[in-house]
Amino acid sequence: MELDLFISGIGGQGIQLVGKSLALAAIRDGRHVMLAGEYGGHMRGGSSVGTVVIGATPLKALPILPHAGSAIAMSHLFWERVGSRLRPGSLVLAEETISADLPDMDKHRLVKLPATAIATEQGSRMAAGMVMLGAYAALTGAVKIDSAVAAMAEQIPSYRRQHIEANERAIRAGAAAVTPLAFAVDFDSAAKDVA
Amino acid sequence: MTMRLMDGSEAIVEAAIQAGLRFYAGYPMSPATELLEYMAEKLPHHEGVCINAATEIEGVNMALGAAAGGFRAASGSCGQGLALMQEAIAEAALNETPIVIFNMARNQQDYFQATRGGGWGDYRTITLAPKDLHEAVEHAQLAFHLADKYRVPVIFMGDNLLARTQMGTTLPQLDLEPLPPKDWQLDGTSGGTGKSRQIWTFGCGKTNDPGPGPSKHWERIAAKFDAIAEVEARHEQGFVDDAETLVIAFGSGGKFVEHVVREMRADGHKVGYFRPITLWPFPGDALEAASQDCKRVLVFELNAGQMIDDVKLNVRDRKLVKAIGGVSFDESGLNLGPLMDATVIRERIALAINGASQ
Repeated sequence: MELDLFISGIGGQGIQLVGKSLALAAIRDGRHVMLAGEYGGHMRGGSSVGTVVIGATPLKALPILPHAGSAIAMSHLFWERVGSRLRPGSLVLAEETISADLPDMDKHRLVKLPATAIATEQGSRMAAGMVMLGAYAALTGAVKIDSAVAAMAEQIPSYRRQHIEANERAIRAGAAAVTPLAFAVDFDSAAKDVA
Repeated sequence: MTMRLMDGSEAIVEAAIQAGLRFYAGYPMSPATELLEYMAEKLPHHEGVCINAATEIEGVNMALGAAAGGFRAASGSCGQGLALMQEAIAEAALNETPIVIFNMARNQQDYFQATRGGGWGDYRTITLAPKDLHEAVEHAQLAFHLADKYRVPVIFMGDNLLARTQMGTTLPQLDLEPLPPKDWQLDGTSGGTGKSRQIWTFGCGKTNDPGPGPSKHWERIAAKFDAIAEVEARHEQGFVDDAETLVIAFGSGGKFVEHVVREMRADGHKVGYFRPITLWPFPGDALEAASQDCKRVLVFELNAGQMIDDVKLNVRDRKLVKAIGGVSFDESGLNLGPLMDATVIRERIALAINGASQ
């Protein structure tokens, strides 16, 4: 099985950082991973979409996903690029303040999270994406929370290392703010099934 | 071995260095720029040299020089840069100097210039077109092996998706046959084997070893490419046995088509896929066999029709062949366009099938 995810938002919200952290965390957990950005026009204020696919066995996914089964929505702007490609019944983890502006949520499983408020409580309003990362990991079982923290710290550039602590608090607070889904993935038994 | 997350450009560079690459010279051009940047970062840690040349022509000729010295050497660019390199690639083919050209293309409009031998003379260039990062890691090794084995230039055909999509990889190493020492290499001394003097496009030697001369030399070069064509064609295919419709695509397009065909098979359509892995030599015999009972042969490529010529040469009736691709760029003109999309490809295959049955 492959867990596929779109992360959608506005350039500057840390969309690509969330995707990279999730992908690196999955590598730490021994998974097969693909990480793709949707290129062109990546700039502050423009559309930013990241794509992550995680599996226990070598991946079949295309580098441009026609469909996915889950999404993180950091903004309602540019959502149509992602929303139209979600399979019915997808998990949509949305920033609470914009969730009402996402269309067709009756077709999906919407989980609202006040990520920006939680990040602010944890001391860094900019870490809303990290809250989402922790929440997504806890909801789905995609990666271990400790792996997500280590992956975030692993790639942060030297001139931003002062943000590691707040990011870690944000990831853990996000994980604590949600209840794991009943159908959270179990890559290990999926791998055994294949073997 | 541990998995590492890297984009295709980095994985290609790592695999090439593992395969013995020690010299790279290129000029930046999107999406080949990252390849040059990784080369610049990594080669110096492996007793290698990377030079940001002033032009593509300079870069490829530097690689030719390093290769004449016996080193595994490469240059790289994207389509328009590859066009500038054609004269040097022709020289490499005719003077039998093994070099590898990494063509990280913006699109698929490079098929002709990669496969036809774009310079003067009777030669072709072995062209490897991987479908994804994992195959690219293999091809980065295979390219140098084939170049050395036959003393020919080899083109590696990548694209934007290949260059920039990140995947976990262990960079597995291919188990390739050992090759003889390069007794023709220039070693900087005036002694040596004397065979290095045969490294000349005209095939002329020296007074006490005159060489074959131009006509015999070029005849032998042409025969060498015929011999390569006999044994080095590679392809991948699926669901061809009872396929009424065969869809052909290369590189990333081949991966998309395979995905779509698997989906359509699951829905009961008698569709198969065929992907040339080597664009030259084109796997014509395999295509002929795979398409023998098909009602239609569809070619998906992001250009106005280039590979389709090779397809028409290798099916029983060229009237079976229909193009379902086309020119497709994004708004920047630097990247693949909206046609490289599984949903669009499926619609076009379905239209070709339904249109034909009406």
